[in-house]
Order: sequence, then C-alpha cells, then structure tokens
Amino acid sequence: MRFRTWLALVAGVLPASIVAILAFLASYSWPAIRFNGWGFVTRNTWSLGNLYAEPITRGGVQVMPGAHYGILFLIVGTLLSTLIALIIAVPVGIGTAVFLAEAVPGRLRLWVSFCVELLAAVPSVVFGLWGFAVLIPLLGHYVFPAFAGALWFVPFFQPPYGSGYGLLTAGLVLSLMIVPLIAATLRDAIVAEPMVVRESAAALGATKFETVWRVVLPGVRAVLIGVTILATGRALGETMAVLMVSGNALNYLPPNIYSPISTMAAFIVSQLDSALQDPSGLAVRSLAEVALVLSVISIAVNSAARFVLYKTRTARA
Amino acid sequence: MQRVVAARDPSTIGGSGWNPARLARLRRRRARGIIGWGLCGLALGLLSVAMLWILLLVFWRGITALRPEIFTHVTQGTGGGLLNAIEGTLLIGVGSMLLAIPLGVGAGLYIALFSYTWWAKTIRFLSDVLVGVPSIVLGYFGYITMVELAGWGFSLAAAAITIGILCLPYICRSTELALLQVPNALKEAAYALGAGDGRVAFQIALPAALPGVLTGILLAFAISIGETAPLIYTAGWSDYLWTGKFTHAPLGYLTYAIWAFINEPFASANALAYAAAFLVTFMVLLISIAARTAMSRR
Amino acid sequence: MSINRRRFVAVGIIAAGLGLAGAAAPARADDVTLLETGSSLLYPLFNLWVPAYSQAHPGVKITTQSTGSGTGISEAVSGLAQIGASDAYLADAMMKQHPDMLNIPLAISSQMVNYNLPGLNGDHLKLSGPVLAGIYQGKIKTWNDAAIAKLNPSVKLPDHPIITIHRTDGSGDTFIFTQYLSFSTPDWMNDIAYGTTISWPAAPGAIGATGNQGMISALKGNEYSIAYIGISFKKAIEDEKLGEAALENKAGKFVLSSARTVQAAAASKITDTPKDGRVSLIFAPGDDSYPIINYEYAIVKSRQSNAAAASTLKAFLSWAIAPDGGNQASFLDQVSFVALPEQVRQLSATLINQIQGSGDEARQ
Repeated sequence: MRFRTWLALVAGVLPASIVAILAFLASYSWPAIRFNGWGFVTRNTWSLGNLYAEPITRGGVQVMPGAHYGILFLIVGTLLSTLIALIIAVPVGIGTAVFLAEAVPGRLRLWVSFCVELLAAVPSVVFGLWGFAVLIPLLGHYVFPAFAGALWFVPFFQPPYGSGYGLLTAGLVLSLMIVPLIAATLRDAIVAEPMVVRESAAALGATKFETVWRVVLPGVRAVLIGVTILATGRALGETMAVLMVSGNALNYLPPNIYSPISTMAAFIVSQLDSALQDPSGLAVRSLAEVALVLSVISIAVNSAARFVLYKTRTARA
Repeated sequence: MQRVVAARDPSTIGGSGWNPARLARLRRRRARGIIGWGLCGLALGLLSVAMLWILLLVFWRGITALRPEIFTHVTQGTGGGLLNAIEGTLLIGVGSMLLAIPLGVGAGLYIALFSYTWWAKTIRFLSDVLVGVPSIVLGYFGYITMVELAGWGFSLAAAAITIGILCLPYICRSTELALLQVPNALKEAAYALGAGDGRVAFQIALPAALPGVLTGILLAFAISIGETAPLIYTAGWSDYLWTGKFTHAPLGYLTYAIWAFINEPFASANALAYAAAFLVTFMVLLISIAARTAMSRR
Repeated sequence: MSINRRRFVAVGIIAAGLGLAGAAAPARADDVTLLETGSSLLYPLFNLWVPAYSQAHPGVKITTQSTGSGTGISEAVSGLAQIGASDAYLADAMMKQHPDMLNIPLAISSQMVNYNLPGLNGDHLKLSGPVLAGIYQGKIKTWNDAAIAKLNPSVKLPDHPIITIHRTDGSGDTFIFTQYLSFSTPDWMNDIAYGTTISWPAAPGAIGATGNQGMISALKGNEYSIAYIGISFKKAIEDEKLGEAALENKAGKFVLSSARTVQAAAASKITDTPKDGRVSLIFAPGDDSYPIINYEYAIVKSRQSNAAAASTLKAFLSWAIAPDGGNQASFLDQVSFVALPEQVRQLSATLINQIQGSGDEARQ
C-alpha cells in the first residue's frame, strides 16, 4: 500500500471514534428520545418511577409507574453556573492579561504567566477538593451571610442562603478553572498587537492605560470573543469540581444564587451506576439522552469558538 | 482601518498651552489610568491568591499526609496506602499513551503533510469536535460499550481506550502545529533527492518537529493522569495491585482516592485523599513544566 | 542523539515500563479477586471483615467500595461486582427479570434520623413518620411548626427553615427511610412510595448528598438541617455532637436506636422472613421496638462466571454469617449492628449454597 493510504487509515481512527461515539449515543438513546419526547427539555421531573411496583405500559414501552424524565433543572443549572463563571472570569481574565502584557517587565512576565498557566493544568477533582474543603465552609459561614445582608434588595441574592453548597460556589470554582485559559490567550493576543498602533496612540497624547483600554483591547476583541466561547465550552462540560460543590439539587430550579443546583455532566456521574436498577432500561437510555444533549451543546459552542478564532488567525495573516 | 481614539482636547484647536481646564482633564485621565491599572493588578492579585491557596492546601495537607506506607502498601478500605492507586494511574496513563501516540501522531502527520486533501480537512474538523465532547460523555460511551455490552467489566482495556480517545485530538493538534513549523525547504530537498513520502515523514519532518510533538504528548499524558469521571465508569476501583489481566479486572487510580475519600468521616481516609491530591498535582505540574521547558528550549 | 539511538531509547523505555508493570503485579496463580460494592451503611462493616478474613485466607483479595445500594444492586445484576451490598432487597420486577439473583441477609442494621440544631443536639427531639413526611415534602417548613411542637411540648424550637438532606445516589438508606414514611403516611405512599431512587419533592433548599458520609458532611456543615443516616455511623455522629431524634414506633412510643430496641424489633419480626430473604422489617410491633431496622443484604448472582470466584464467595459469605466469624460481637458492636437470629442464619446459608460457578453441576 502507498504510504499515504496507509497513513490515511491510521489517521482515520480519530474521526472514526468521534463518529462512533455520537452515532452510539444517538442510537442508544433513541428509545428514550421517543418515550420522553420534547418534554425532556421542558419538564422538571427526573424520576425512575416506583421501582418496587408492577411495571405498566405507557407509550408502547414497559416502564415503572410514575417514570418521567425531564431535565430542565439540569439545563438551567448548567447554563446558570457557566454564566456566573463567565461573569467572574472574563473581567478577571482581561485584567490579568492586560496587567501581564503591559505592566509587568519582561523576565518577570515570563515567570508570572508561566504560573498562571500552571493553574490550567491542575486536575478538576483537585479544584473540587479545594472547593469542598475550603470554599464551602468559608462561603457558607462568612461570605453568603454578608452577601445576603448587603444585597438584600437584589431579588436573586436574597436569603435563604442555606449552606456553602450551591450555584454561586459552583460558579466560583468554574471561573477559577477557566480564567487561566482566557488570560493566557488574551495576553498572547495583546502582546502580538503591532507596536505601531500603540505608538500612534501615544503620539496623539494618550496615557498608557488609555492606549491599552481604547486602542489595543478593541483590536483583540475577536480573540476575546473566541476565547470566551471556548471557555464556555470548557465550563459546560466540567464534571468533578461541580459535583463536589454544587449541592446536587433534584427536580427544582434554583430560587436564588445560593441554592443547590445540578449540572448535566455532574448528574450523569452521580446517576449512571445506579441507573441499571431500572428493569425497563429507560433510566440508562435517558442518561444517554442527557449525554447527547450535553455533547450537542458543547460541540456547538466549541465549534463556534474555533470558527471565530480561526477567522482572526486568517484575518491577521 | 481602526478608529484610534485620541485624547485630543478640543480646546487645543487653534493653539495649545497649559490652561487649567486642560491640566484638570489630564489629571482626571491619569487618575482613571491609575484606577484602571489598580483594577488590573487586583485581578492578577485575586487570581494569584486563589492559585496559591489551592496549591498551598494541596501541598501542605498532602505532604503532612505522606508517610512511607503510602508508597509501600495498598489501600485497605478507608486506610492503608496508595500503591495500587499510583500503579493504576501510571498503567492507565501509559496504556492510553500507547494507543493515542501512534494514532494521534499519525493523524497530525497526515493533516500536516496532505493538508489540501478533503480527508485532512475532515480529520481536522472532527478532531475539533472531539475536543468539545465532555469527558463524562466519553466515560459513558466506554461504560456502555466496553464495560457492559462487550462484557469486559471494569478493566484496564476499557480505561486505556477511553482515555486514549480523549487524548487523541490534543496529540493530533500539537503534532500538526509542530510539523507546520518545519520549513518547507527541508521537505522539498528530501523529495528532490528522491525520498518517498514515508521517508520524508519519518526521517525528515517528524524528527525536526520532535520537541513540539513531545510537548504535546507530555501535556496529553498530564491530562490522562488527572482524569476522574471517565475512569469511575471504566476502571472501577480496586484495593489491590493490577492482576495482569486486561479485562475483568478493576484498577485503582489516584483521582478516585481524592474524590471518594474526602467525604469520609474518618481521618485516615481524608489523609489518603490529600496525599493522592498532592501526588497527582505534583506529577501534573512536573510534566507541564517539563513540557514547557522542552518547548522553549528548541 | 542519532535517530536510531533515539528509537532504541524509546523502545527501551516502553519495554521497561511494561516490565515494571508486570513485575509489580504479585499475582499468585490461585489469587481470587472479588469486588464488593454498594451500601455505604454496610461499608464500615465490610472494612472490618475484609482485613480479618484476608489475614486468615491469604489468597483472597476483596475490594470494598462505598457507592450506594442502588449501585450495589446494578453491578451485582450486571456481573461487574461479585457482591452487591444493599440495605434494600430486590423488587419483584427485578426478580422476575433476573431470577438468578440472591438476596442474602448478612446482619441486621438500623437507621437514625439526625439533625443539627444549635443548642438542641443533645435533646433527642421526638419525631414521627407523618411529621418527617411533611418535612421532606416541604409542607412543614420551619422547626417551630405546630406539628413538631406538638410532639415536643417542652422544647423551645427555633423559628428557622428546615434544610432537608437526602441521598442523590441510589440508596438503601433512602429505601428504608421512605418505607418508614410510606407505611406511616398514606399521603406519601400514594404520591411517592418507597425505593432506592425516588423523585424527592421540591422542598426549599433541599440538599442532595452522596453516601452516608456525604450526609454527615452536609449535616455538619448546615445548621437547622435534618438527615437520615445509617447506624454504622453512630460514632461519627456522636463525635460531631449532632443530634439524634427519637422516632415513633408502631405502638406509638418514641424510641432511640440502641442494641436493645433493635433486638426487640428484630425478635418480633423475624418470623415474617420468607425463604428468599426479601422482607421489610420496618414498624416491628412492640413498645420497645425501634421502627427503622432492616436486613443488610449481599446481592449475589447465583450463577457466577467462574468456579474459583463462586467457591471463594461461598466461603466468605458463610464466614460472614457465622456467629464465630463475621457475625461475632467484636465486629458488629463497632457498627452497632445486631447478629442474625439462628433461623435467619439458616436461611442465608441455604441461599449461599445456591451460588455456583459455570461448569459446576447444578445443586439442589
């Protein structure tokens, strides 16, 4: 065989695996998709039904009475926690990137950037460990009461603030995980901005900060958008850290920012190994449907990000 | 053409000079600048504080929990050591790399050498799609197909394949990027001297791109060590060393110890969790540092 | 380094790695590895049993895991684990689908209802099934609600919302707790009934925890919260100075969990135990009987995939139920369990005898 053909086959394992995974998810969850219908994403009830009663037939399938699968609370939990993570991470990321690129002198910049990037390598479960051991007691006993007291007039921030397990904690931990990505990418982009632009601004009398804020940053806007979308994709799929700090809400939407939530990824982890208790098999397949929904959202977000970033790369070249 | 916002003061049109209004405006702008830099510094400060806090927690509680027993004994319920977990983590890491390196480097080679073909474009597109898939989805896939349907049970095979698939796009991408740095002249010269595709790939292009490829492999290895969710459903957990079987034999791994034992109300279990966290974080940081110094040295 | 030398080094490293991995596996030809997974209630007891058994039987390697009874059942049914520890017996629908599953009682355990109320943790509040059902349904919202106050007239209850903590994983503790609620409150039975995984009503601020261990963490971290926790964690609860409620039993009396009350309940219920071991021990009659007690089951597939695993399983389980083996006081006292009565022990022994490896001739 020609080398090229042989290499093409070896290289083909990668695309084959992703196609296999998506095809498998779609086909394995098909009975659940048919059974659950559109209510899957609009209903708030995830119930395996009464496992200790006699199975009944509904929708042509044998299920346990009361079995309903709806994941609205998971979708809301995932989106809200990611939103909070972005609200915290984007400003911090921009600030860090700007400071690193402009205010930190040469050699020091290398070391500090290096340290910031190291944070990106820390495994998710270690973030969860820190969140569980440190953040939850701190937030539950000191910060949440302070917030609830200071922000009593803002609807979403009112008490009750229960414990440290919840939406805000999950959002904070997630933001910590995505800030290095935003900061590093943005810093590279800022450093890559041509000096000419900065010099022109300085010649016109701009202060250093004004140069950065009004000239350089707008120039890297596309990169910022791209990396924000990329960070969103990362936060959507985060599993272990969220599992350990989010409080695992079931079948209700968070009434305020301190309330426990559940995300799709964390839900799959916590429910999968006991899903086989359901003799009808629908619980496992509904989890496949959750995985499919999560994958579709994640892939869409990720592709959008790469599209935006790809355009900036070609525009620059 | 970008619109440069200049700090042009209309009062200077038709003449300049340091009138008091202009001075006041300048002072305001400078003040805003100081506040701005302050906020940016604050951002970096917050990030640094959080980062140091995490690393200090892990290293402080981890080091105090390290005893020789961790490295010599296997886990016994909620106590004992972590030898089985360390061995399992390394086995899964090496196993997944043995699968992902040839396939990933091959894919990267193909994309870089034959980037004009539709196949290369498809591979690149699908590689990006694979990066977007959350790791738990891969774990679900591995669990249903390999552990349940194929009947392998919790096993090294299922774990290595799942993590291997996870790492494929990273190795592919870094190989491609490294190969793109190799000057075309080098490859053209080889072709001109009569080398075939295979020789150009393996004896000219790849060796020249080796530092970048190795960096990618090291970073993928770090990712494979730090994974938890897919392993919960493919490797299971075992309190003992590897039996040598690739199927029907669960494996221990460090990240499980972190997740499962931190919740236990027993001090011995919590100590194991912190020790495992320390070991994993230390290994991952070491590999990341090695990867980056390798990349910068070229 | 030349290209060829690099290749040799690479191959050498890989070979060394594989060699190390192989050498590190000290497997002897006759080592049998078993996986026990499931109930977090039974987990502390298995962690006492396994080291003791392994010391006497060096070739047997049993891994213990605390994943919840739901997982124990699932993995035992699918063959991923040899022993599925569960506080819940299999449902009729499951037994019909998998008739080769055995529910082997190993010991008798019980469950506490714990709470975290500043200042009141030593006072053993009185709670009943209907009141607990109301709390978990979100109908009884604050601690000083009339229903709770009626049961505890002399206690100054705080005016604070109740934070309910429940299990998110498939849990035998959920099973027995919801049986307690179902059998006492028709309202709960009609809406929700009982099970290892149920659709918890949306009570405000309800927290989901994983495992009994997670329940304790959540209870400890949240004041004004309430949780149901297995008896084997009684010492952990006492160490954290958390409160235990006195529960209303069938005779209308309020009892705390103790060896005496659990024994009393067991004595009055064991005659109800059928041959397949599947029975609920909730609401045993008697003034002194503790209402929430249950058999701890080993859910085992009677047809094991290999003969060595089958015979090791039988030997281990037989040791576990023996009064001079796993059922001796020195083990059970540490987790506050009660030993199997003799007639139930015989029943378990009969069930254990049904375990066979493929290739064995069918017995009985």
